[in-house]
Amino acid sequence: MVHKVVAEQVAGGISTTAIRIRESGIERRARFRGLAEPLSLLVALAVLIGVFSLLNERFLTASNLQNVLTQSAIPLIVAVGATLVILLGSIDLSVEGVMGATGMTWILLSANSRGGADLGPWAWVIALGVALVIGVASGLIFTALKVPSFIVTLGMWYVGLGIATMLYGTDLLPRLEDEGLKGWTSRISFGLPNSFWVALLVIGLGIFVLRSTRIGRVTLAIGNSETIVRSAGLPAFRVKVAVFAIAALLSGLGGILATVQLDIGSPTVGSGVLFIVIPAVVIGGTHLGGGKGGILRTVLGVFLLTILNNGLILSGVESSYQSAVTGAILVAAIVFAAWSQRDRLQVAK
Amino acid sequence: MSKIDNEATKIAVPVLIPARGKLPSVKRLGGWHAIGPIVIFLAILVVVAILTPAFIGGGGLAIIASSSAPILLLALGQAMVLNVGSIDLSNAAIGLLGAILLALTLGPVAGLSPLIVLLATTAFGAVNGLILAYAQVPSFALTLGTLGIFQAIALVASGRTTVYVSSNGESVRSLYESGIANVPMTFWMGVLLAVALWVLLRYTRIGRGMTAIGKNESAAIFSAVRTRSLKVLAFALSGFAAGLAGIAIIAQAGSASPTGLGSDLLLPAIAAALIGGTSISGGVVNPLTVIFGALTVALVPIATTAVGIDAQAQSLVYGAVIIAVVALTMSRNKSSIVK
Repeated sequence: MVHKVVAEQVAGGISTTAIRIRESGIERRARFRGLAEPLSLLVALAVLIGVFSLLNERFLTASNLQNVLTQSAIPLIVAVGATLVILLGSIDLSVEGVMGATGMTWILLSANSRGGADLGPWAWVIALGVALVIGVASGLIFTALKVPSFIVTLGMWYVGLGIATMLYGTDLLPRLEDEGLKGWTSRISFGLPNSFWVALLVIGLGIFVLRSTRIGRVTLAIGNSETIVRSAGLPAFRVKVAVFAIAALLSGLGGILATVQLDIGSPTVGSGVLFIVIPAVVIGGTHLGGGKGGILRTVLGVFLLTILNNGLILSGVESSYQSAVTGAILVAAIVFAAWSQRDRLQVAK
Repeated sequence: MSKIDNEATKIAVPVLIPARGKLPSVKRLGGWHAIGPIVIFLAILVVVAILTPAFIGGGGLAIIASSSAPILLLALGQAMVLNVGSIDLSNAAIGLLGAILLALTLGPVAGLSPLIVLLATTAFGAVNGLILAYAQVPSFALTLGTLGIFQAIALVASGRTTVYVSSNGESVRSLYESGIANVPMTFWMGVLLAVALWVLLRYTRIGRGMTAIGKNESAAIFSAVRTRSLKVLAFALSGFAAGLAGIAIIAQAGSASPTGLGSDLLLPAIAAALIGGTSISGGVVNPLTVIFGALTVALVPIATTAVGIDAQAQSLVYGAVIIAVVALTMSRNKSSIVK
């Protein structure tokens, strides 16, 4: 599909029959693989659900399923942004820092036990503004100064944590005092938890941006070949900055929702999210090299990991093992994804 | 996934020929990578000395050296991995796991315990390297995954609580309590490792091969450099250095806690390696200047307090420093593609 976009931009007329036949072949194979991978994920999900419901009858109850949906909402929101960044071929390690900084800004500007200003809706705007600034800064340092994204975002992770810690200061724990908001994320409306509705909205918007807007199309093209994108005169620079900004905004939204869920402000509100998000994107089948993958696959990946964690805890596995399980799955997934493309001469850093 | 595509040009340009009209002095000394770390350290030290004169008089340098020991050891391991063009996000977690294993085993097996810990951490590092070299996966994703696994092992082994050395702790503690020139042996251990790694990199075929991988991996393969085994070795060295860092932590504190999970040391260690002149894209490293990188990082909390920045802003400073150092020292050209 991306080949077509690029070809339209570059050629406008030199296509020959041979190239067309080859292209349609590639497209057909891609469509088949695009179906096969999500199908195997769905099978894995079904197997997991089957095994866990046999192990513990509490697993398949409505309240636990709503629990799973609430737990998966925040990783889902953050993962949509992470998918876009990984489709560029880059990586965003800063999610936990952005979540901390945004969540802390938000709670200090909302009704909380420390008093201070209660800006109501403006707290959301300002907090998401903080996330946007961090995201744009990451994007600009990455594109304009050509610093590898894993270093920029590793640094931004700690910059975000630092901002959150400084905002937190040495005062008492800021506790959420807005009765309407307390527990809002796990409250049920129309059969689903509120935070999951937000996640569905974000997923829908994400799919729309990726499929039907210039930013999304150019993102995929950059992941395939940035050289071609640039020589085709497409705005690679602006799109990369925009994608990092979108990712940070979504991490920020996740940070606010996590703060609402936790009821108190904490700089480490996002801890552990990176460990679900990156493995989820990779298991979903989005290539770390960029250009191939999608948001719906990531959604499957998040569900797989959340259900796995939820089921393991219900089966009595200690929560200490959680990071080992997600870590091992991440390693297995990247090894599995890269195995067929191994090549003695291919350079992997 | 190659991060920059300009390795070829980097090699083709002879480093020692100065451009006409430019002063050759800095380049003759080995360029920024050789004197930069020392200059940065001295500059910050001067600022601290002016703002808080009591610091230097009160044996402040010895305090910095002793607190920098674990960071230095981790940074040396990280520098070896960066030199082959990869990154090891798991080495601080390996170090902490080493510390916990040491605290647990010192009682039962006494003198053998440090040996067991070093063997174990080296093996952990080698496993990272083996997966990386044979499955050809990106190192930051791989080591992010193994970081989670090591974290969990540390949590389970320690039972989620701080582990104290029960008995036989004297020998390990003496590493911190005895010293040369008021500086504990743990720091000199780091200096010794730095010298050993410098000799390895400069005078042996193995070390030259590692640097060749970092400069241009394809060219190294075509020149019959055993890239796979050397990458495994680089990661194993990182694990070994992390094990030494674990010993240094126990020598200093007598206990290890699985919370914080080594992430407190991960960023300072990467920062120390980068400030020490190690290139993020590989092929440029000098273990001796990494010593100054580690000293600089240990100086940062003291310097920020002296300048009047909140002590809580430390992680912000580390994050900003890493980005700034890489931005300032990266070699880049207009057409190169950075991911």
